Amino acid sequence: MSKYFGMTEALKDFSLDIHPGEIHAVVGENGAGKSTMIKIMTGVYQCSSGEMLVHGERVLFHGTGDAQARGIAAIYQEPMVFPDLDVAENIFLSHRGLGPFVNWRRTYADARKLIARLGVTLEEDRNANGLTLAEQQTVEIARALSLDVKVLIMDEPTSSLSAHEVEKLMGIARTLRAEGVAIIFISHRLEEVFQIADRVTVLRDGRLISTRPIGDVTADGLISEMVGRDAGEFFARSERKKRDKLALDVRDLTLDGVFSSVSFNVNEGEVLCFAGLVGARRTDVALSIFGVRPADSGEIAVGSEIVRIRSPQDAMKLGIAYVSEDRRKLGLAMTMPVVANATLATLRKYMSKIGLLNRGREIEMALRYRRRLNIRTPDVDREVGDLSGGNQQKVMLAKWLDAEPRILIFDEPTRGIDVGAKAEVHSIINGLAESGVAIIVISSDLPEVLALADRIVVMREGQQMGVFDGETATQESIIRLATGQSSNEVAA
Amino acid sequence: MSSTDIGVAKRPLEKAISHLSDWEGFLLAVLVLTIIVNASMSDVFLTVNNQINLFQLSIEKIIVALIMTLIIINAEIDLSVASMMGLAACAFGWLFLHGVPIGLAVPIVLLIGVLGGAFNAFFITVMGLPSLVVTLAMLIGYRGLARVLVEDRGITDFPAWFDALGQQPLIGPFPLSLLIFFALLAFLVVVLHFTGFGRYVYMIGNNKEMAVYSGVAVNRVKATLFIASGAISALAGLLFAARVGAVRGDVALGFELDIITMVLLGGISIFGGRGTLFGAIFAILIVLNLRNGMALANITHHLQTGVIGVLLILSVLLPNLRSMLRQFRETRASARS
Repeated sequence: MSKYFGMTEALKDFSLDIHPGEIHAVVGENGAGKSTMIKIMTGVYQCSSGEMLVHGERVLFHGTGDAQARGIAAIYQEPMVFPDLDVAENIFLSHRGLGPFVNWRRTYADARKLIARLGVTLEEDRNANGLTLAEQQTVEIARALSLDVKVLIMDEPTSSLSAHEVEKLMGIARTLRAEGVAIIFISHRLEEVFQIADRVTVLRDGRLISTRPIGDVTADGLISEMVGRDAGEFFARSERKKRDKLALDVRDLTLDGVFSSVSFNVNEGEVLCFAGLVGARRTDVALSIFGVRPADSGEIAVGSEIVRIRSPQDAMKLGIAYVSEDRRKLGLAMTMPVVANATLATLRKYMSKIGLLNRGREIEMALRYRRRLNIRTPDVDREVGDLSGGNQQKVMLAKWLDAEPRILIFDEPTRGIDVGAKAEVHSIINGLAESGVAIIVISSDLPEVLALADRIVVMREGQQMGVFDGETATQESIIRLATGQSSNEVAA
Repeated sequence: MSSTDIGVAKRPLEKAISHLSDWEGFLLAVLVLTIIVNASMSDVFLTVNNQINLFQLSIEKIIVALIMTLIIINAEIDLSVASMMGLAACAFGWLFLHGVPIGLAVPIVLLIGVLGGAFNAFFITVMGLPSLVVTLAMLIGYRGLARVLVEDRGITDFPAWFDALGQQPLIGPFPLSLLIFFALLAFLVVVLHFTGFGRYVYMIGNNKEMAVYSGVAVNRVKATLFIASGAISALAGLLFAARVGAVRGDVALGFELDIITMVLLGGISIFGGRGTLFGAIFAILIVLNLRNGMALANITHHLQTGVIGVLLILSVLLPNLRSMLRQFRETRASARS
């Protein structure tokens, strides 16, 4: 089976061939053309020139239905399941032409078989709204299988998963490969690519850079091909001088039924990372410090003063900022201009006494941050939704940096952004710490945690499991605490 | 390209011109067309008096449509406006009937508007209920209160000067209600498009959660809008009483739908965050002129309403249609190659 197509603009003279029973990784920075490629393959877009062959036959997709009929399906980092339906109903969602009545017994039996084929345990009558992200993905994969999938495209499937869940997903992918399904695996995490892929294709600026067997490439080689420059030291630790002035001291913070007895402190100029799996309740701790959902008991001290934080406004007055992991829902107004998003948290600075906005000063601010953070946008009046993920992240950063926070909480600051932007975000975080800001980073990306942290707090299901020194911690020791496993199990 | 160097795509004028291709541009074209056709049908159409007359016949709705624009951009809705107009008018009649001097009755009625708005705001912000439900309940509640106050009577015999205020020109050819409209329009244009409060209105309408996480006092903005809506609706009710010179329990019955139609026709998204007061004004002018023109052409009132309905559907359809057309062309182009 193979596909070839050439396209203008977002994707140029691009060719790719994929074989049954192969896991083919596609890597590239955001904006490299990966999404466009997926959209063409699944029939969302049509290519402006070139052709696509499936099983040697020339195909032309007018919509996603055409692609589905040819056995091409995609799953994304945010799974699409209907929360009020159960697992089996979600799996057989798009089945048509089965007559007016649903054969429920067959539906559930088939669902059970499909799930068993994937080698996982998941009750077929469970409601989808109780499923974890990983389980939702399993449902999506089962749905694709039920449609007799030949080519399964996985777009950043692991970016929201914990290490343990990633392992499971890899297992599923290998099972499908053994059955002869061709898998296109798109990921920013190169270690996963090396773990699972048979071949790897690098895209940059809409062009095909290379396609090679995985044995012929190295991580540094891939990175330099992706960014078009030498990888250098993307994940090198930067040395910081230690300061002893306490910025934030949290004691026995408890939110009933969510997390309990969380205690930690951060000094000025220190980076404290929160590691843990999805569901460790790290975000909930951050939100209670930021005043979105105040804790039931415990103390928070900013500097040396015990404070009460009942709302984000309270937190901001104390110099606390929170950069959310969910840009779309909690970070930005996607249809508003870059400049309006950037000045929102500090809008008062740009208002006169009677509340009139000084547009000139707003634009001046946006331009200043565009330069400082290297935000790639032709103009600051552009809708922020038109920017790439990494640049959106930087607009969100600009919004909070303008508040000149003393304590800055980053929640998954590099999730779903490309290697280049990731390195830039890391250097911004290091720079802020350098200037004395106390920084808390919540991250599920362990190499990132190890590269950034002075100290590491590990959480598991609302419990604080331990604190590591950033220099001596290892991925294994963190995972051991985060999963609550004994050392033997981790080694196995 | 020099303008992109400084990071701003377009100067305001260029931007305004590029906007003309949007819905607002379409509205302006429809408006000009309507005016040309109307003017060719009747000599009196373009006279100042006819235009003022046009406005005056719907002035209460138009005034309320201004604040409704802000509320819908904020991704909320206030269905209780017409009932508040009715309640204000009836409360005024009741106070007048019970010997309260007009100079005192007017501020009392305005206070009722503020309280009514605050009542809505309490349930929407503090209790977190959807405004659609809260104001639907108050649509019934305020109307009921209005009917209780005046029962089956009609209250007339207001002093001549009061009726004159509603009917006669006050300054030049303009009656009081039109002056209030101009003042309110100017004020709200500044508030919505040039102040921090206006920015908050847009941002909350776009993404309320995000605004909360950015430290915006979301509830304060929403409460301000609903209280303003109550007060302005009460004012509109008073203007209605003065213009008609009589008050009954069914004053302004069903006006909320006309008001919301004008706002949506103006390209303001029912989902919030999008639209401008200029769009709303164009839509108001179109509705007025279209109705007037159709009346001149002896088209029945029912058919006029139908035409407005078609326009409303177009206002939702046209932006989508354009992107569908573009996609269709691209598909065909790729099929040919």
